[in-house]
Amino acid sequence: MSIDYALLFRVLLPEALLTATALLVIGVDLVWGRGRSRGSRLQMAVGAGLLGVGVAALVIWQDGAQGSVWAGNLRVDLLAVAVRLGVLGLTGLSLLGLTGSRVSDQPAEYVALALLATVGFLQMAVAQNLLLAFLALELASLSLYVLAGYDRSRPESAEAALKYFLQGGVSAALLLFGFSLLYGMTGRIDLTGISMALAVHSDGSLSAVAVGMVLAAFGFKAAVAPFHPWAPDVYQGAPPMSAALIASAAKLAGLAFFWRIFWSGLGPLAATAPLLGGAGGGWVPVLASMCAVSLLLGNLVALAQASIRRLLAYSAIGHAGALGLGLLSAGEVGPGPLFYYAATYGLATVGAFACLAILDRAGDGDRIEDLAGLRRRSPLVAACFAVCVLSLAGIPPLAGFFGKFVVFAAAFRIDGLGHPAGWVALLAIAMSAVSLYYYLILLKQAWIAEDVRERGPIEVPPAAALGLLLAAGLLVVLGAFPSLLLGRF
Amino acid sequence: MSPLHVCLALSAALFCTGLVAVLVRGNAILVLLGVELMLNAANLNFIAFWRFGPGGGEVGLVFVLFSIAVAAAEAAVGMALVIAVHRHLRTIRVAAANRLKG
Repeated sequence: MSIDYALLFRVLLPEALLTATALLVIGVDLVWGRGRSRGSRLQMAVGAGLLGVGVAALVIWQDGAQGSVWAGNLRVDLLAVAVRLGVLGLTGLSLLGLTGSRVSDQPAEYVALALLATVGFLQMAVAQNLLLAFLALELASLSLYVLAGYDRSRPESAEAALKYFLQGGVSAALLLFGFSLLYGMTGRIDLTGISMALAVHSDGSLSAVAVGMVLAAFGFKAAVAPFHPWAPDVYQGAPPMSAALIASAAKLAGLAFFWRIFWSGLGPLAATAPLLGGAGGGWVPVLASMCAVSLLLGNLVALAQASIRRLLAYSAIGHAGALGLGLLSAGEVGPGPLFYYAATYGLATVGAFACLAILDRAGDGDRIEDLAGLRRRSPLVAACFAVCVLSLAGIPPLAGFFGKFVVFAAAFRIDGLGHPAGWVALLAIAMSAVSLYYYLILLKQAWIAEDVRERGPIEVPPAAALGLLLAAGLLVVLGAFPSLLLGRF
Repeated sequence: MSPLHVCLALSAALFCTGLVAVLVRGNAILVLLGVELMLNAANLNFIAFWRFGPGGGEVGLVFVLFSIAVAAAEAAVGMALVIAVHRHLRTIRVAAANRLKG
């Protein structure tokens, strides 16, 4: 079998560029940064990181979809290109947001780790082979564990990282065990081969265990109930921009990753794996019920939260239910709606966390009352926060509305209410109304409530302001012209 | 029982031991140990399927080599995080890490 190494190099060039940038950032910081202020070291690291991300995005954009590469081990289709560009965009925005958050002691290592995590995300989008997929997932996860614990001055950060790590480690072990059973049943580790072998013959109980374990790993990665407990702690305890990366780019890459595993690899088991007590039915109903629980639990528990970031975490669990619904319907209608939802959800999350990072730097707390008077203290932050939160709530004409619309429409298109996805979509619509309540509480505090403590105006660094405006602007533009993304699928 | 079944039973037992350790142990390092047991159970599966399974070349063996390396990296990161928690709390009991709740 001959392999076109020039093409392989070209496809992996973005990853190579990002890795080189990460090493360069650390090296330059070591030599040039000695004796300089933390602020200027941060600017250098973010600037170099943005340059690397930009060049990598340019390479991906120019090359476009190239089909199967390296004997089918990598698949650079339209979804892969879209997810890779989306992940790079979200990483770039969170790097911009970093300039507006509290400066840590080692800004260069932070940026380098974020870039290495991005390399993992890029690989997750194209991997078509269990080994590559596992390595990409672990590269991304290990970097994110460290990023979650990066703020060494606060015990909350270390605690969040440890909880994230322990639950992530278990989910990685489950995934690896599931992969080993898939290998044992089929003798293959490429998704196409697995799918072909499973279509011919699959051992009932073994396939049920394997699929169950992969489902659990998906639940962890996307924070779908009942595998969600890490999410509130990490969102609250981790540094804001680490939480932003975990909540946006990691989720987008994870959904593309599991879309490939479920539909390209485990597609033949969609309706046949005997998961529910040997009654048959496949993984589709199981995933549908996970989504339903996630929608209910996330949106109802969010109502009771006093911390803004915890509230966003529970709302993220609710959104994960809707994203899982998109994953369910992606087998019938293609991954377009799922990608649109995940990408615009990521944009809104990064924007909201960038606002919270700016508040955090100004010394404000994380309670909902701390938002009071934001309109007077910084109109720019208040406006961008409003756009992001309204998009999360799904108010037209923002992108969040069309994300929900296309995903629910896709779920109904499978078979109306004859398919479990239809019922979950109904539940999701009802829960959207619930979510409106807690999102509007945030906005009421930021826009209407007066600040009793009379705190002064908030200073916003120009780069962070640019990041906020980009996120909010993209949400408006993609909401007004959803076909910019959807029309390409 | 064929050799494959013996190996699979052993790896399943190992996996369950690890999972129980993760769920009931209060010490973060022992939880980490449980995760390692689970990863090694999966490695044992790969080896068993490679040796006795339906074939498919050396791919199972290669997978194990990579996953051992990943497990080592994971242990390194895990120990670093345990130390970070110990710096703040002076204990590595998982139950003591309870500042984040709501």
